[in-house]
Amino acid sequence: MAKTYDYLFKLLLIGDSGVGKTSILFRFSEDAFNISFISTIGIDFKIRTIDLDGKKVKLQIWDTAGQERFRTITTAYYRGSMGIMLVYDVTNEKSFENIKNWIRNIEENASADVEKMILGNKCDLDAKRQVSKERGEQLAVEYQIKFVETSAKDSLNVEYAFYTLARDIKAKMEKKQEASNPAGARSGTHQLRDERPKPTSWLARCSVL
Amino acid sequence: MDDDLPTDFQVIVVGTGMVESIVAAACSRIGKNVLHLDSSDHYGGLWASYNFEGLQKFIKEINSDPNRQLQVYNLIEKWYIDKDSPQEETKQETEEEKTEPPKKIWSQADFASEYRKFNIDMTPKLLFSRGPLVELLISSNIARYAEFRCVTRVLTWLNDKLNPVPCSRADVFATEAVSIVEKRMLMKMLTSIVGYNEEEMDNEFKDWTDKSFKDYLTHKGLTPNLIHYVLYAIAGGSDAMPCLEGVRECKKFLMSLGRYGNTPFLWPMYGSGELPQGFCRLCAVFGGVYCLNRPIDSVETKTGDEGKEIVVIGSKSKNLNCDHLVIGINECPKDLLSSEPSESSDISKAIFITNGTIMPSEKEPLTLLRFPPLDEGDNPVTVLEVGPATGSCPKGLFAVYFITNKVKDAESDLMKYAEKIFDMTGDQTKAGDKPTCLWSLFYNVKDVSAGVRDGVETVHVCAGPDAGLDFDRAVIQSEQIFKKICPGEEFLPRAPDPEDIVFEDDVTHGPEFRGDEGDKE
Repeated sequence: MAKTYDYLFKLLLIGDSGVGKTSILFRFSEDAFNISFISTIGIDFKIRTIDLDGKKVKLQIWDTAGQERFRTITTAYYRGSMGIMLVYDVTNEKSFENIKNWIRNIEENASADVEKMILGNKCDLDAKRQVSKERGEQLAVEYQIKFVETSAKDSLNVEYAFYTLARDIKAKMEKKQEASNPAGARSGTHQLRDERPKPTSWLARCSVL
Repeated sequence: MDDDLPTDFQVIVVGTGMVESIVAAACSRIGKNVLHLDSSDHYGGLWASYNFEGLQKFIKEINSDPNRQLQVYNLIEKWYIDKDSPQEETKQETEEEKTEPPKKIWSQADFASEYRKFNIDMTPKLLFSRGPLVELLISSNIARYAEFRCVTRVLTWLNDKLNPVPCSRADVFATEAVSIVEKRMLMKMLTSIVGYNEEEMDNEFKDWTDKSFKDYLTHKGLTPNLIHYVLYAIAGGSDAMPCLEGVRECKKFLMSLGRYGNTPFLWPMYGSGELPQGFCRLCAVFGGVYCLNRPIDSVETKTGDEGKEIVVIGSKSKNLNCDHLVIGINECPKDLLSSEPSESSDISKAIFITNGTIMPSEKEPLTLLRFPPLDEGDNPVTVLEVGPATGSCPKGLFAVYFITNKVKDAESDLMKYAEKIFDMTGDQTKAGDKPTCLWSLFYNVKDVSAGVRDGVETVHVCAGPDAGLDFDRAVIQSEQIFKKICPGEEFLPRAPDPEDIVFEDDVTHGPEFRGDEGDKE
């Protein structure tokens, strides 16, 4: 199968349960919002290919599969991720405070140069707001991470957030490539696929002798 | 935070080792409601991979409370290098003058500052390219959670030095260590091994059932060098290895050739500890609930309504109920286990961190080395050397794992083998042909299998890590447990690709997007 993209980025969604990670994922990948998607059953990752400066960028966006609920994200989840969306809920103070813990978790487990962005989700629920936009901005400045408030429900800034994160990763990648070492250290690894090559040909080979 | 943990499940799995995790995934995959607990703060139990800090914590925990991990004992950690790098300032000056920086002199402090770049395996294992785990990872679609590297070479210890073992046909032809006549002989013999079929009574090996593999190879007229390659390196055996066992091991090796690389083996990126996590992820994707740091205090079975047996687990003053409990042997209360003597064997293991490979090669090697027993009464020793490209250690270092069946204790069983291939003086400045050992850890692991006591049908005990090179036993055992819990159900049917999941109804569309390309390939 011909490669239908120029870049493949693995992105993660991180944050407390119920902040709307799955809704953001669905808004971006399916342009859908379903209030009944409260937990994350059956969602592994979603894919959307976007166009950035004439390049096809395939975004593979991974959801936590509910493993964040009791702080039990696997270390394997972070492997190979190039960008992380840190999500909190503007109507939930605790989820905002926990962003710092999630950042610590990322520093512990993800690669050091992973791109990050903070999203304050559910900004449509202004009446229930507990975290002001200013506090979100302040936190982002503290960690030098980009920040935006989003609403998966109203489809506000979700597109912008993913495009911004993807653009930052692409820029970083191209800068690295310019500084030589284009292949990177990850070449030579295998993802196992059901490619079913011919069975061992020891017998056939032996007959050559 | 734990308080909102639900209390009723169809299946509760305690421990996140390989067997437990596969069973958890399999149950969740076919729709069972699964809770998966672990008493420690990380996945994998004794199958885990640790960064250097995590490893230090693990060692400290076991040394301070041996009861915590009864399966691990005789733990000896050793440093061969200084705590801090000496003369940091002068070193920097000389570095500026030279075009090529000198080989890094590692200190303990460097290990601490680069701790995150280590992924050290407590249970290092390889996957046969056509072995049961690779097939399961592919057929279940769990392969998407892991990446692998090919083992690049198989070495053996012959004539008091390291020798590459020809694996592929190309290797056999290229090697100068084997004459043309020997090549024909070897190929003929390997052909009959590949053709071996246990069901066929009248096979090539029917008269060899009570004889040793070495006798067979000798009978076939193989030269001593070839016998060494086949018996020690390919079959991983010793002089006493029974013929049919040797044939089976060789066949497994040969059948896995040619799928992914030059050798039959794969090594998981970031270590074997990633693999149980892949199964846990699948379990979670299908609704499994995860809770680490959650020790259990008690396990009771009782008869509930309609005469159904229920397992009640006490944990943090909360009762958790399930139809089936799957539990690692280390976590299982002793009164639930069968009083019959359990099968038990002991494994000697060692981990070394060195400053170079045991045999330099053009590209970074990933090595399986098999030592024949060096002394009377020893067992064969398996060695795995992995480098920075596998995510196991920082640049410039190698992690080397030694595994053998225990004779005395890990250090006495393995140190003499390590001394053959490492410089144990800790001197990093001399340019010898052996890499310098910077750090080592010796430990013994008890491999115990036991059943539950009679009359308990709803508790299933999982064995810990075995001494085998591969994951075959774990895969077989987990399938057996799954079949007991879910008779007639398919074991880990293929999980759909995310692209194939189509959501219908219940969907409200937002405003149109600007003209972006389709979101699917």
